[in-house]
Amino acid sequence: MRTLSAYLTAAALLLASTGTFVPVPLAQAQAPTALRVIVNSHQDGAIAPDDQLTLREAILIVNGVLSVEQLSLTEQSQVMPISGEVSRIEFNLPAEQTTIELISLLPDLIRDGIVIDGTTQPGYGRDPVINELPTPKPVVAITPRPGVEVKRGLTITANNVTIRGLSLYGFTGDLSDPTRGEFFDLRGWETRMLNPRGLHRATATVPPADIFIAHKQPPPDITKQQPPANFAVYYPDDFPARNVVIEDNWLGFPPVLDENVRPVTPATRSAFGVSVFNGTGTTIRRNWIANHDGSGIITAVNAEQLLVTENVITGNGVAGMPDAIRLEGKVNQAKIAGNLVCGNDGSGVYLFKPEGAVAIENNLLTHNSRRLRRAAIYLMGSQHQVTGNQIRNQTGPGVVIMASPRSVGNRIQNNQFSALEGLSIDLVQLHQTQVYDYQRGDGPNPPRDSHNRRKDTANAGVNAPRFVSREFYALGTQVGSAANMALLAGAEQATAVEIFGTADPGTEVELYRTIGEDSSGYAPLAESLGTVLTDAQGKFKRVVTGLRLGDRISATATHPNDGTSEPAATAVIRSLDAQPERATSPLASVPRCVTAYVPPAPPAVEPEPPVEVPIRIQVPTRIHFALDQSFISPLTARVLDRVAEVMLKNPALVVDIEGHTDPRASDAYNLELGQRRALSARNYLIRKGIAPERMTIRSLGERQRLTQGSSRLDYARDRRVEFRFRDARGLELIVQEEDLQIER
Amino acid sequence: MRMFISLRQWLRRGLFVLVGLLISLSLWGVVTAGQAQEITITNTATAGFADGAGVPQPVVTSNATTVRATVNPSELVIIKTGDRASAEPGDSVVYRILVQNTGQTVITDLQVVDTLPFGTKYLANSGRAALAGVPVNFASPPSQNGRTLTFSPVTTLNPGQTLTLTYAVVLTPDAIRGNGRNLAVANGNAGGLPVVSNPATFVLAIRPGILADCGTIIGRVFVDKNFDGEQQPGEPGVPNAVIYFDDGNRVTTDSEGLFSLAYVVAGTRTATLDLTSLPGYTVAPNLYRIEQNSTARMVKLSPGGLARMNFAVTPTFQEGQR
Repeated sequence: MRTLSAYLTAAALLLASTGTFVPVPLAQAQAPTALRVIVNSHQDGAIAPDDQLTLREAILIVNGVLSVEQLSLTEQSQVMPISGEVSRIEFNLPAEQTTIELISLLPDLIRDGIVIDGTTQPGYGRDPVINELPTPKPVVAITPRPGVEVKRGLTITANNVTIRGLSLYGFTGDLSDPTRGEFFDLRGWETRMLNPRGLHRATATVPPADIFIAHKQPPPDITKQQPPANFAVYYPDDFPARNVVIEDNWLGFPPVLDENVRPVTPATRSAFGVSVFNGTGTTIRRNWIANHDGSGIITAVNAEQLLVTENVITGNGVAGMPDAIRLEGKVNQAKIAGNLVCGNDGSGVYLFKPEGAVAIENNLLTHNSRRLRRAAIYLMGSQHQVTGNQIRNQTGPGVVIMASPRSVGNRIQNNQFSALEGLSIDLVQLHQTQVYDYQRGDGPNPPRDSHNRRKDTANAGVNAPRFVSREFYALGTQVGSAANMALLAGAEQATAVEIFGTADPGTEVELYRTIGEDSSGYAPLAESLGTVLTDAQGKFKRVVTGLRLGDRISATATHPNDGTSEPAATAVIRSLDAQPERATSPLASVPRCVTAYVPPAPPAVEPEPPVEVPIRIQVPTRIHFALDQSFISPLTARVLDRVAEVMLKNPALVVDIEGHTDPRASDAYNLELGQRRALSARNYLIRKGIAPERMTIRSLGERQRLTQGSSRLDYARDRRVEFRFRDARGLELIVQEEDLQIER
Repeated sequence: MRMFISLRQWLRRGLFVLVGLLISLSLWGVVTAGQAQEITITNTATAGFADGAGVPQPVVTSNATTVRATVNPSELVIIKTGDRASAEPGDSVVYRILVQNTGQTVITDLQVVDTLPFGTKYLANSGRAALAGVPVNFASPPSQNGRTLTFSPVTTLNPGQTLTLTYAVVLTPDAIRGNGRNLAVANGNAGGLPVVSNPATFVLAIRPGILADCGTIIGRVFVDKNFDGEQQPGEPGVPNAVIYFDDGNRVTTDSEGLFSLAYVVAGTRTATLDLTSLPGYTVAPNLYRIEQNSTARMVKLSPGGLARMNFAVTPTFQEGQR
């Protein structure tokens, strides 16, 4: 490891040899002048003293790199000193020219306290656009010029920077095109490094994102990291950016919504939304983060005290890291509260080997894991708190806690679950580390049979409570007369039920009403009915009111040190004489992530005339593929257009997209191929404007062939994607074979 | 048993005497090894002749005589074990031999002959013999002649007694060319008659050990956050990543992202990271070494050597493309 003096010498040499490396005069750096810079042009290009002040010039000015004297007089009139120490970039773009198209990476924001405020643009409204987000639509949009690769929108390497009211989209690196990005990347380090002779790039580019928060001179700049740090990711003087605020932005899509109030997918999707690469105390609030190839919010090195609140995070993870919020690295005291996380391809929140404890509170996570079967919230590590969340319509379990790395003391209380494919809370046991365990857990655990289960199971293997019986009887007999009982049964209202059971001593048992059918004896925890402490023998007893006959109940136990258990096997509430009513199943709802905000001002809004339901709508249920291929042929595209048309007209339609293959090749390969086929069909429909939360991808491989034969025609029929509509009422499902592709 | 002897030569000379002997031996009682048995031997003689014209005359049979006798069988059983199932050059192996007299006769001049596996050497002064816990000396120091090792304990072995014999051998480098099988036989003298035991074998699996020309490959798959291809603290390993080797081996990483492959044939070995096993990740760029910007690794593995294959990955936004 280098000594400090050697390091300082190296830095001094670097400064001496490259005079242009740090152009900021030292005196100016010590006494910064706060400036207000108004961007009045949507152009981007070289720095020139013309009559247009571009965003690039504005950033260089507030960074202190470009002095005001280097501007033209017209431009100087847009720059004015203000009191205080905080420089501001404001916008006054012409009305029809509010999209700033970048030709290269913008300079990093290197001065503390810079505010880039898109809400200053004339025309920035006051009313929200959707009910879920109290933020008006941004006006100023920043995106790469079409055909140009720009990896990052804004790179923040200073403290207390605020980004407000902007739309950023289209920032990604193209992994497949060998030539793009060669000529426009002014900094160009990584293209030179990775692309020495214009060969194709074998790896990812360094992390791209709409907004990237890191220490000064982050990758791909490694001039300060020669050689790389030995015992940490970066050197100790690479301080993370502190207290950056990202608010009221729309990330990942242009500030345009379609008629269904859905964000429009841009021609080039952004890679990641907000990448908190190395920044502490970051606040991300009231943003709409949608339609990214990778995660909406991702952390890497250090994201301690991250606050993610009141955001709407929809439709992310389409082609890469599938989880909406992915937390890695140091995340101590991070808090994710009050967000809507909907229609993403993976987990809502996935913690991958984090350091530190996270609080996940009062979020609504629904319709996630569209592409990969994962838990809505996947936890590794200890002392996390998951409270007050609503988790619905998940194609996986609710909360999974991994056993390896050791995870203990995670509290999951007072959440509401419904429509899961798995347990509400799943503790992985026996140090299991299979692929499934890292995605959707291992199912119900047996009771702890050895002290070793405390070591090899998540949350120290705290036992799920057990009811003394699978049936509890309403205390209706105490009411007295048979007439009263009849009345009681008619109202399906049980006055009070006394619940008995056992759990680990010293735990707090939380009783839940469950919802949905349970063939396995478990059901999603729908609603908390209150808590009760166990006695020294682990017994608990509580009278619960407000239950209806036929309701099913479950419970979890939370130990102060170990954390929360898996849910108990359910018990049913019966009356002594009446037959139990079947518990209600969750309401089938139209999957919509966001709803349009209707301004309350015009009082006389006529109710919309009821949409006429067409008698029969023909919709194809099958598309076909070529041998060992998953691309959409032109003929298939025509079929898919018909599917898209029907789905656009019927917003309540929900579909499972199942990929199938012919029986040749291995089972595992065919499962992958089926997945690719379903994925390409899904992605085509997303392009056509179908919301991702309405589609679930499944792959069946060769398990459900359509035919029995082995002719080429049979195989061609087997190679298909089937659309299984959840509610096909009013639909005429037709089988078409016009896009059949028979191998030659 | 039936035996008939005809001597044609005598017939041609006109001698009239021909003796046919018929001995039938019948054993009474249950035949069990090692038990004294009462047997009856019945003996009958027959005679016949041919006259001068060569015409055979009727055969006459004598009366049967019987002899009753008691047989004391002598029997040696030998069992051999080693203290380990496998060994490699440089290891010493302790063999233990049990010789039991299961017969009814006292056995003297006991000798145990062990044909050692190829490439093993008797460890001098390691031979010990004991009879019912009492040490027994050897007539001469146990000596190795070629692969043959001979022990001659100075003792008699009464019926039912068991002699314990232990000794150690050292595996020489030659051992890896042999099959590790050895064969021990005990012999002795039971009242003037030689008695030989069953052969006992013990097979030792010979591992090449330090003489192996195979190497070991270790490595890791981890999330690289500073894009240098090395794992620092704060860069966690990725579980269940799949690495394919050039010989078809498929290796998955453990929960810490580590993997190892032993007994890899030395030479130039290549392996590649299967990105489909890592949803959401792809190979991280390496800003320091161009050759690591690849899913494949090639190492030169020296005989008995160790080589590393580290794969740095990073969250991706375009799966399946590289």
